[in-house]
Amino acid sequence: MKGVARMKGCSSPLECTVEQEAADVDASIEKAAAILKDAKNPLIFGHGNSSSEAQKVAIEIAKRTGAYIDDTSSFCQGPIIEAILQEKLKTCTLDDVRDKADVTVFWGADPANSHPRHLSRYSYFPRGKERQRGWEEDRTLITVDIRKSDTSEIAGNSGFFQIPIKGDAEFMNALVDGLSSKVPKTSFNFDKKKILELSNTLKKAKFGVIGVGLGLLYSLEELEPLFALMDKLNSVSNFHIIPMVGQYNMRGFNHNLFEETGYINRVKFDIESGQAKHGAEYSVVEALKERSVDAALVIGSDPLSSLPLPVARYLADIPLIDIDPCQNLTATKANVTIPCALGGVESGGTAVRMDGVEIELKQIVETDKLSDKEVLTRIMEAL
Amino acid sequence: MGFGQFLAAPELKLTIVTYRDIFQNSALEVSRFDEKYEELSAIIKLDPNDISKLVIKDGETVTVKSGAEKVVVKAQISGYEEKHEGVAYMVNSPWSNALISDNTHGTGVPSFKNFEVVVQSAKGEKVTGIKEIF
Repeated sequence: MKGVARMKGCSSPLECTVEQEAADVDASIEKAAAILKDAKNPLIFGHGNSSSEAQKVAIEIAKRTGAYIDDTSSFCQGPIIEAILQEKLKTCTLDDVRDKADVTVFWGADPANSHPRHLSRYSYFPRGKERQRGWEEDRTLITVDIRKSDTSEIAGNSGFFQIPIKGDAEFMNALVDGLSSKVPKTSFNFDKKKILELSNTLKKAKFGVIGVGLGLLYSLEELEPLFALMDKLNSVSNFHIIPMVGQYNMRGFNHNLFEETGYINRVKFDIESGQAKHGAEYSVVEALKERSVDAALVIGSDPLSSLPLPVARYLADIPLIDIDPCQNLTATKANVTIPCALGGVESGGTAVRMDGVEIELKQIVETDKLSDKEVLTRIMEAL
Repeated sequence: MGFGQFLAAPELKLTIVTYRDIFQNSALEVSRFDEKYEELSAIIKLDPNDISKLVIKDGETVTVKSGAEKVVVKAQISGYEEKHEGVAYMVNSPWSNALISDNTHGTGVPSFKNFEVVVQSAKGEKVTGIKEIF
């Protein structure tokens, strides 16, 4: 979904370094293994831009070293993916969306910016098997957001529902009322007629989809309002959830860890028994905030860019290993940096798309660099 | 010399909502250390009335503070049709993340899309560079 910008690669590739000095791959791998061996409670974080094969090795390293292991789903789409894997939310594939969806709702999501090819490849513009008349006649696009995003512009005034900050749960409850032929009331006096019109559109959908964005997830204190809305929608209509995942293989990590431990993220392995413990205290943010972590290996992510500054500062202070194709903020503070090939361009493998479909990544450009899996395998061997 | 120079620039308490921008994201894929990424990231989008309250002009720099942290970014008029006084928008970036508390109330999820800041004119000051954030 990142398109041509990702394919072209970065202007400053990551260099191989130990303590900010140029080093060869062997020396960096040795130093990385030494850092992990010396740590009592290492953290292995990232994985969103790693192949599934690399993720499986990362999980093995975490087991071997008694590490915390977590990914960005810990503070974004995790709860939705967990609910999907636990079969609490009905989902479908993006191919179903393209071929069948007649009503697509983006809630707290702005794919025109966050997933630039989503609308054109799957959710709005293409002709599909059962949607031959395309977006002009066969599809309805709806956005629920706190601001008129670029996707809302495409949905037009009749498809855009602007709600106040933190108004999502209430708006969902009002929709459930609308779908139950009750008067939908909100404390922010949303036009009842407009809610009833939306309820009617959703009710008539043959194949409905809700793309859940971070705007919705961060606003909900619990997922109950979403479960209630989906239950109601599926009693009167046919609706599916698609999590609007940002990184190309974040969902793959969730699937792989789930298969291994029964949890999708926020895990700490016991070094003796190999048992996985799970909970908010094992999340990347809480573990760093509580200073429970004493070294970290970051792969396929840039937490120094994406975490709140106080925890990012702590991460920069502890022994830090960064594996990535590109120079990033985490690398500027890392004790060891190891470049790897760019997944899906310079190296192959498999990944799990945002809809849960496993896809094959093909190597299309030759490189001397090791793949992310190879780098991790060598660290594992050095342990 | 006017009397105005002795008055501190007015401060404004605002709620920040972060969002994604395709061009900023594309610049990130090239390099987060390029000027282009800073130009598209170190910005805050304000309601025209909040711009007036801060006594600044579109494109001038402002200091955005949250707790002990602060960054200097460029203020821009948001361009949204609906008024949004009291709410400002920042694109998701190391500049916005610098202002987010690590207090998650035990949930592990920081408040990325809804947090309070204090904004003040930083006329003449330069935007905080990506490596100066730390």
